[in-house]
Amino acid sequence: MKALLVCEYRERALLPASYELVAFADRLGAETAMVLIGDPSAAPRVTGKLYLAGAARYGEYNPDLHKRIVLEAAQRERADYIVFLHSSYGWDLAPRVAAALRIGQISEIVGIADGGFEVGICNAKLRRSVVPRTGRAVLTLQAGAFTPAGEAAGTPQIEQIDLAGEASPLEFVGYEPAEEKGVDLTKADVIVSAGRGVGKKENVPVIAALAKALGGELGASRPVVDAGWVEHSHQVGTTGQSVSPKLYVACGISGAIQHLAGMKKSDFVIAINKDKDAPIGEVADVLVVADVLQFVPVLTAKLV
Amino acid sequence: MEYTREIYWNLGHGVVLPMYLFSMAAVAVCAWGFYRRLPVYRLGKPLERLDQLPRRAAGMVRNVLAQSRVLRVYDPGLLHSVFFWAFGLLFIGTLLVMAQADFSQPVLGVVFLKGAFYKLFSLVLDLAGFAALVMLGGLLVRRFAVKPEGLETIRDDYVIHSLLFAIILTGFFAEGLRMAATEIGINPDLARFSPVGLLVGRLFLGMTPAHLALTHKILWWVHFFLVMGFVAAIPFTKLRHIFTTSANYFLADLGPKGAIAGIDLEDESVEQFGAARVTDLSWKDIFDADACTSCKRCQDRCPAHATGKPLSPMQLVKKIGETAFNTPEAALAAAVGEEALWSCTTCRACQEICPASIEHVNKIIEMRRNLALMEGAFPGDEVRTAVSNVEVNGNPFGLAYAGRGDWAEGLDVTVMGEGGEVDILYFVGCYASFDKRNREIARSFIAICNAAGVRVGILGKEEKCCGEPARKLGNEYLYQTVARENIEVIKGYGVKRIVTTCPHCFNTLGRDYRDLGLEVPVEHYTTYIGALIRNDRLALRPQQFDFTYHDSCYLGRYMDIVDEPREVLAAAGGHLTEMERSGYESFCCSAGGGRILAEEKIGSRINVARVQMARETGAPLLVSNCPFCLTMFEDGIKTGGCEGELVVRDLAEIVAERLEKAAPAQL
Amino acid sequence: MKILVCIKQVPDMESRFKVNAGGNWYDESDLAWRMNEYDEYAVEQAVQLKEQLGDAPEVTVLSIGPDRVVEPIKKALAMGCDRAVHVQDAAAASKDPWQIASIIAAYARDKDFDLLLTGMQSQDRGSAQVGVTVAEQLGLPCATTLVGLAYDNGTVIAKRELEGGLKGVVKLKTPALLTCQLGLNTPRYPTLPNIMKAKKKEVLAIPVAELLTEQELTGTAGAYPPPKKGCGTVLEGDLGAMADRLIGILKEKTAVMR
Repeated sequence: MKALLVCEYRERALLPASYELVAFADRLGAETAMVLIGDPSAAPRVTGKLYLAGAARYGEYNPDLHKRIVLEAAQRERADYIVFLHSSYGWDLAPRVAAALRIGQISEIVGIADGGFEVGICNAKLRRSVVPRTGRAVLTLQAGAFTPAGEAAGTPQIEQIDLAGEASPLEFVGYEPAEEKGVDLTKADVIVSAGRGVGKKENVPVIAALAKALGGELGASRPVVDAGWVEHSHQVGTTGQSVSPKLYVACGISGAIQHLAGMKKSDFVIAINKDKDAPIGEVADVLVVADVLQFVPVLTAKLV
Repeated sequence: MEYTREIYWNLGHGVVLPMYLFSMAAVAVCAWGFYRRLPVYRLGKPLERLDQLPRRAAGMVRNVLAQSRVLRVYDPGLLHSVFFWAFGLLFIGTLLVMAQADFSQPVLGVVFLKGAFYKLFSLVLDLAGFAALVMLGGLLVRRFAVKPEGLETIRDDYVIHSLLFAIILTGFFAEGLRMAATEIGINPDLARFSPVGLLVGRLFLGMTPAHLALTHKILWWVHFFLVMGFVAAIPFTKLRHIFTTSANYFLADLGPKGAIAGIDLEDESVEQFGAARVTDLSWKDIFDADACTSCKRCQDRCPAHATGKPLSPMQLVKKIGETAFNTPEAALAAAVGEEALWSCTTCRACQEICPASIEHVNKIIEMRRNLALMEGAFPGDEVRTAVSNVEVNGNPFGLAYAGRGDWAEGLDVTVMGEGGEVDILYFVGCYASFDKRNREIARSFIAICNAAGVRVGILGKEEKCCGEPARKLGNEYLYQTVARENIEVIKGYGVKRIVTTCPHCFNTLGRDYRDLGLEVPVEHYTTYIGALIRNDRLALRPQQFDFTYHDSCYLGRYMDIVDEPREVLAAAGGHLTEMERSGYESFCCSAGGGRILAEEKIGSRINVARVQMARETGAPLLVSNCPFCLTMFEDGIKTGGCEGELVVRDLAEIVAERLEKAAPAQL
Repeated sequence: MKILVCIKQVPDMESRFKVNAGGNWYDESDLAWRMNEYDEYAVEQAVQLKEQLGDAPEVTVLSIGPDRVVEPIKKALAMGCDRAVHVQDAAAASKDPWQIASIIAAYARDKDFDLLLTGMQSQDRGSAQVGVTVAEQLGLPCATTLVGLAYDNGTVIAKRELEGGLKGVVKLKTPALLTCQLGLNTPRYPTLPNIMKAKKKEVLAIPVAELLTEQELTGTAGAYPPPKKGCGTVLEGDLGAMADRLIGILKEKTAVMR
């Protein structure tokens, strides 16, 4: 089977997550070709066909034009699967391609099972195996679900795509950089939270360092915010932010119900607490029974 | 010599006509002053407060004559009460003089102010006048020298103090001058019975008779006009409380404590819910402002005020009055302050202590209703989330309702939906159902019931939040929605008796749900356990412990349950050291009024303040009877740095550890 | 001006989910239901737009499902929508995004809506397809994942939320379809007078058979609980050893260490 992989390009660079498409195709055992609306200098380092359309002409974001380019590539390639990342670019573009081809779309795939693609439903509390009824399908992949094995090395064979016209009802105006206003934990993939077990304000940087080492954000339980050790926008819980990161590390947090309610949706939870019976243990995948102030620096050192 | 005196001595009976004319004028001014205020009271909505007249009259007489509410705070209370009784006696004295001089003597030829009676009369009035003077002096010192914090002194106070002093002093001077002319040295036996007049009179013995007469006449008229001024000033100054406070005793709410007016949600003609303006409040709410004398007893006891929130119950009541009298069109929430409104925990300390029987709490709830129902406002986003959670899952945590009965797994409890005979329905409440710490209360209560052979049923996932926090935050719609659903389920099971471990559920199911059709008797577990012990159905094996006890607002002040929990804890072996603020003076944990759902963002923490009061008793254990209090105190102990010094536990946990018979089949 | 808001009723995500008897979806017993959170933002945006334009626009809210979807419909009406359409379908959960989109498109096709608003995805299925597919079936320009919207005389300036807090700004003209991301606005809490008024607003019931013409393009082969999370490992002992073990677990169980 043939898979057409739709790479992503933003701010004049290839988004590295595009390599996850390749990892997926490998798992699927499919022959691949890629399509990219971008600059030749951003071509992914993958051996194989790469259909390229210039971003200068067709814009970094223009789903109408990009749809037509992808459709052209899919036709030339006679692709069975057209694969996108489930991203702000992918979930916007994929249904348009699927609708144009009148084929099914399977969104946010996390795995490949016998005869179907695995997706999560209801905050990943259940899983479904979905199959296309039409032979061909548009697929979108959950970010981080398929990780490339190693460094990409290869040279693509580029084939140009040009459209007849560039008229589009959509006009891309530009980007707006992220604001500095307080931290938005709801969009964080990794959160490391400080609780009362941290002891005092001066110890918060220890937790922040772990957050940084894991590439995540600093969170906090309510008592810590109340005590003024951490600013309010970092608060996790019913009276703070409700979060669902891929990884949540609770440092010195006992697990009051209001806090649990705010982070229970996390994919993977690590709790560090010297109390083996702390309620946080009920939602933690791993409970490290240790003094936060002793353990966290050791862990951070090994991560850096 | 006769023991009597000539009424109108030196003045002549010609004084009677002008005296009565001026008196009628003063009374007319007084009446007119009050009459002018009536239309402002009438801005408010109607409210029936003229039912059960004998009961109301009795209450008024008791409170006015015995000054019972005034005397609840002894310190300035005694000063006022003695002053009041003294002035009352003087007033009666004046009436007796009038009765004889203007009626009984001229018409019937009867003189009763003579002989032994007159001696008693003179003595009593002199002592009363003296007592009044001393009390007034005490009140003056308090207000102008001691200056208690929070006591406002306004123009009225200067006027009243000056007037009253002047009246009493001129009265004594007039008496002294009369006695100097007619009694001292002339009728020493009688003079003795007016000791103050005697002392004062001695000052004037050097004056010539003509001089005496003139000075007496002048001072008598000055005294007279001061009293006329006093009467006329009543409705225009704080003095109006003589009538308005007395009336407030008459117009008191005779319903159960804590009852709140419902809203008919079926009435499609209603366009305004809650109080946006004074016209949305009742006439009584506006009248309450007139009954207030700014004594600040409510403010002194308000936990929000004590910790820096912008709420003063006294100021709130006065602002309503000011708005009604000056700017009746104005928006109440802005006048009173939205933050002030949300800060209230409905602890009822203000209303309980108020010597004028003012009703603070329901005004706040009515104003909150306007904010919640007309504007969709909340004291914070976290409250909105909690309220939405109650809408979706029937609990403020947002946890799946299907798990509400999970805490009872493995325990000897019947889930009503699965069938079975029960003696009581245990209405568990949100906290005991879902919160780890509070589940201990539920488990302890089951253990106690098991030991007593009581078959317990729970609604499990069919139970919803009783709706109380939503109601107190003004969201009457959500409250009625969950309440009706609960009532339907409860009725469906034909439950005969409900027991709850939460005072808020207790108040709501036991009182508020009556208005929505639930008639099943509801008990709080503290009295239920007390009864089990008294009826020998439950035996305890006492184990000594030292503790202090926190009377939760909704059990103590609202339901008058103060002694029984203490008796139960004593039976359990407890040795109690009371906090200074206990019983009806208990200091709120901060979570009432729906504030269990809210963050405390202003000032210092109420729960920390209370925990520190507990620590000051020296007891290592604080016992509570409410899941909100337990949650607040666990937090307060950690935040207030009392960890290791103080531990908080619920009464059920204490009792459950001391059961004579071990509970069967417990995990 | 006519606005259509499409909403979905979903179970509250705190519920415990079990696979249904058919083995292809979640069991519906013991679930608390609510309006899809993303759709709340769509409803709010529609009502704000109506208010911005002096109450002139007419806002229709549409939902597909069994009788219980009348609850979120009522909430949308209480938030300010003018009228509602309930596409009655007891088996809505078994239809794929393509069919759902076609039902909406069939309803909307001849109604001349200037703006169609919906949430960018549903909390239960989360396919993020229906909105865009409706636009494609109706031939309308479409922008997704809106966290900002400005409307002026037929022109929409949409702010899309991209990864990492970055936003992309796009301009398009009505008629158009927009899908809404969390945080686009603050959905209002319905006031009681509006709740009462909502009871009188029209809810047009249309049996789904009148609007459904499409077959499914994808189907469910099975539904099952996710793999167990290893029952909560407890680590004790030497700090360094625990740290090593923890890093190993992170590498194995999460995508965080790469």
